[in-house]
Amino acid sequence: MNIIVCIKRVPLTQEVDLEIDELRKGVKKDALAYVINDWDNYAIEEAVLLQEKFGGTVTAITIGDEDDEEILRRALAMGADKSIRIEAGERELDGFTISKILAKTIRDLDYDLIMTGVQADDDNAAMVGIMLAEELGLSHAAVVTGMEPEGNAATIRVELEGGMDEISKIKLPSLLTIQTGINDPRYVSIMGIRKARKKELVVINVEDLGLSEDDLAQRTMIEEVFLPPETEGAEMIEGDPSSVAGQIIQIMKEKGVSI
Amino acid sequence: MLPIHPVNDTYFGLPGYVFAWAIFIAGLSLFFYIIYKRSLLIRSGEADPRLASLARRLSGLFFYGIIQKRQPRYLWAGVIHIMIFWGFVVLGLRSIDLVTQGLNIPIFYPLMQTAFGSFYDTFKDLFELIVLGACVWAILRRALIRPERYRGSHQLEAYFVLGLISFLMLTDMFYEGSALLMDQSGHVKWLPASELAALILEGSEPRFLACTHAVSYWLHILAFFFFLNFLPLGKHFHIITALPNVFFKKLSRGSIKPARWDVEDIDELESIGVEKIEDFTWKHILDFYTCTECGRCSDNCPANTIGRPLSPKMLTIKLRDHCFDRAPLIRGKHGGAPKEDSQAMVGGIISNDEIWSCTTCGACEEECPVFVEYIDKIIDMRRHLIETSQNPKTFNKVLMHFEKTGNPFGKPAQKRADWIKEMEGTPVRVLREGDEVDVLFFVDSYGSYDPAAQAIASNIAAGFHIAGIDFGILGALEKDSGHQIRRMGEEGLFQLLLEENMETLNEIRFNRIVTTDPHAFNTLKNDYPGSLQVVHYTQFFADLIDNGSLKPLRPLEKGNIYTYHDPCYLGRHNGIYDAPRKLLRAIPDLKLVEMERSRDRSFCCGGGDVMLWHEIDQEEMRMAEKRMQMAKEAGANVIVTACPFCYIHFEDAIKTGGMEDEMRVVDLMGLLVSTLRD
Repeated sequence: MNIIVCIKRVPLTQEVDLEIDELRKGVKKDALAYVINDWDNYAIEEAVLLQEKFGGTVTAITIGDEDDEEILRRALAMGADKSIRIEAGERELDGFTISKILAKTIRDLDYDLIMTGVQADDDNAAMVGIMLAEELGLSHAAVVTGMEPEGNAATIRVELEGGMDEISKIKLPSLLTIQTGINDPRYVSIMGIRKARKKELVVINVEDLGLSEDDLAQRTMIEEVFLPPETEGAEMIEGDPSSVAGQIIQIMKEKGVSI
Repeated sequence: MLPIHPVNDTYFGLPGYVFAWAIFIAGLSLFFYIIYKRSLLIRSGEADPRLASLARRLSGLFFYGIIQKRQPRYLWAGVIHIMIFWGFVVLGLRSIDLVTQGLNIPIFYPLMQTAFGSFYDTFKDLFELIVLGACVWAILRRALIRPERYRGSHQLEAYFVLGLISFLMLTDMFYEGSALLMDQSGHVKWLPASELAALILEGSEPRFLACTHAVSYWLHILAFFFFLNFLPLGKHFHIITALPNVFFKKLSRGSIKPARWDVEDIDELESIGVEKIEDFTWKHILDFYTCTECGRCSDNCPANTIGRPLSPKMLTIKLRDHCFDRAPLIRGKHGGAPKEDSQAMVGGIISNDEIWSCTTCGACEEECPVFVEYIDKIIDMRRHLIETSQNPKTFNKVLMHFEKTGNPFGKPAQKRADWIKEMEGTPVRVLREGDEVDVLFFVDSYGSYDPAAQAIASNIAAGFHIAGIDFGILGALEKDSGHQIRRMGEEGLFQLLLEENMETLNEIRFNRIVTTDPHAFNTLKNDYPGSLQVVHYTQFFADLIDNGSLKPLRPLEKGNIYTYHDPCYLGRHNGIYDAPRKLLRAIPDLKLVEMERSRDRSFCCGGGDVMLWHEIDQEEMRMAEKRMQMAKEAGANVIVTACPFCYIHFEDAIKTGGMEDEMRVVDLMGLLVSTLRD
């Protein structure tokens, strides 16, 4: 089974107080540390697990500059066989253009399955996977939490709204967007990542893909980025720990949480 | 030398010395064959340079090998062992003498005719009694007292060998005793052992005496060669390997061995760490051969004490058995290839939980009489687990944070100096490249981000300020020291952090580094290249008190009894026991009691490494809780530490152990600063 995994490098933002940049169209990025998007990490792991079990190849693809090669090497260290970086230069990209670029790159490759993360930790749009499937004319499933191939099909488990799960069958080739928790992504050591330099990393320039200017024109434009206004409604609960706990339980009950 | 000798007799029509030669050649050939077989594995081990500092090695050999300084740490067992060891040293000459007599080449004959000879005869006789007494004592101790630390050791082998040693003593006693009675020329020497045997044989017929004389000789010679060949088969191999093992002991303290001694750049390595037995260094394989199974390591191991699945002694015994399986004495059917392993060594024979149970506190290594090493081996096995993604999953995020942000919390580097904002009235300088400063205060990650440890860092800064020290911190330029990373087995990441920190340190001119925690102190001092002038804050402030720059004046709140907990990486790994105690004694009216397990026998709090991010399911209680009990038993109500990790663990233990009303933990710096200010 040949699998393609599309991955993205995103900033680590959990502990950071983000600041809006001067143009008010984004955040200041110079002091941010970048990592592999968490969802994509699960997607790579899932692809590598399938490859270890059923053979075939895993190819990791990302769009970005040289710094972004780090996540490709990480994917290679985890067990991917090949990787492709698409150099987009200074172009501004959105979900639409990204899916166009990826589709054009993937179209001629040999694959049975494409995996992406459900969403990326930076803008949380969750668009690329589905748009890419559409672009390639593939069947797809989103928010996949389990996957078991059977011949030229696969049984998949999908997370639905309201805490429900759905099990269904999907024909291959198809595209799955992978939810966190589907597996336990492995740690790859710094040495392992360095050794992965020996594996294949192909760089393609976006200009060489033969996409039209219309294909590369963004469909979503950011007007303004701002912090949510501070609102009323925070209630400070005071007292010793047991009375605080009691009050919290009371509030939860009042709000309808079944305890 | 007595005129009659059993080899001069004729047996089965052949002169006795023919048999003596046969026993000699067979015994020695077999012995060399076994040693050759045992050496194969050692020779296939990885490189490990152990020849530098010859003078230190020789002095170590003298004090720990010959004088056996570590033996009396367990008083009576130690005394017994020293008696037997010295018996072997003295009686070794006697044994060679007896063997060479039989070969008809009595090389010691001329020597024994001198004054030394007659002194030696008395001396060796005395030692035969001492060794015999020690063996009986040892047998009784094992049988009656049954020390817990022998559980899992080869007890039968121990009894058998004690019996064999006694047998060697007795056969020589009766050999000499019978000769005394047969020899009517009268002797003047005092031969206590032989005379005792003679007393027993007194009144026997001359034929019986002659027979006893001959039988004793042959039994002695046979037992001697049997013993020689028995040694390399089990734990008594230490009789041969202990002295070399002590000579080749690790001389540096606190450091972790590089991934490979013979490859400087780890990127050149195909794989890292220890997966199979041959991946250990030759010295570590010698360690397995040398273990005496005395169990002192496990008796002091905190992981073992609280019921984790780690016993250093059992780890060594299992790996020695595995060594013997991998390099068997007799070739297998199929051309002598070592038999295929039924299970993996790392993860099978030694379970992952065993490997992650270790806190690297060093109690085992401090205790081992023959200097068996544990920490380097465990780290080498961890390196393999990390390399092959078999580490606990809880590490993944932490290691990623270390890599991306230089701290385990994933907090931005820019916030590394945020703690100084809370320091009212105490300016803290944040150094930049090119700056010059007297004291570079290396705060490290916990001191920078963890609230409890931040308080310690703040107190250190306050102490500097009060003493008028020119100091500064690195702020965002500082990366985690990597102490934990290296001990978790992520060598590549450790090297990365080390390189980044060294680049920064090379850009700033400073006289010395002072650290918040003993772990950073240890790694900067012992793992980092070059020789950085690093001290822990306890040393720095003890010096200030010594030279009168600081004086604690304000007395403490009355009625408290304090005890000091030696952090492993300050005490055992770096030998700093007195500086913190000096600080405590300088504080007016501070009442200090010592715990039974203090100084080099300190009991680990749970550790500052793996323990922070991985829990071992199998344990009866927290190490820190056990330690708090010890503090309570010593009569203290305040435990003083000098390490943020100890502080954090004790604070937890006081809560989980329900000791909030009786016990308190304070950091030494907090205590000191409170007495410096009005």
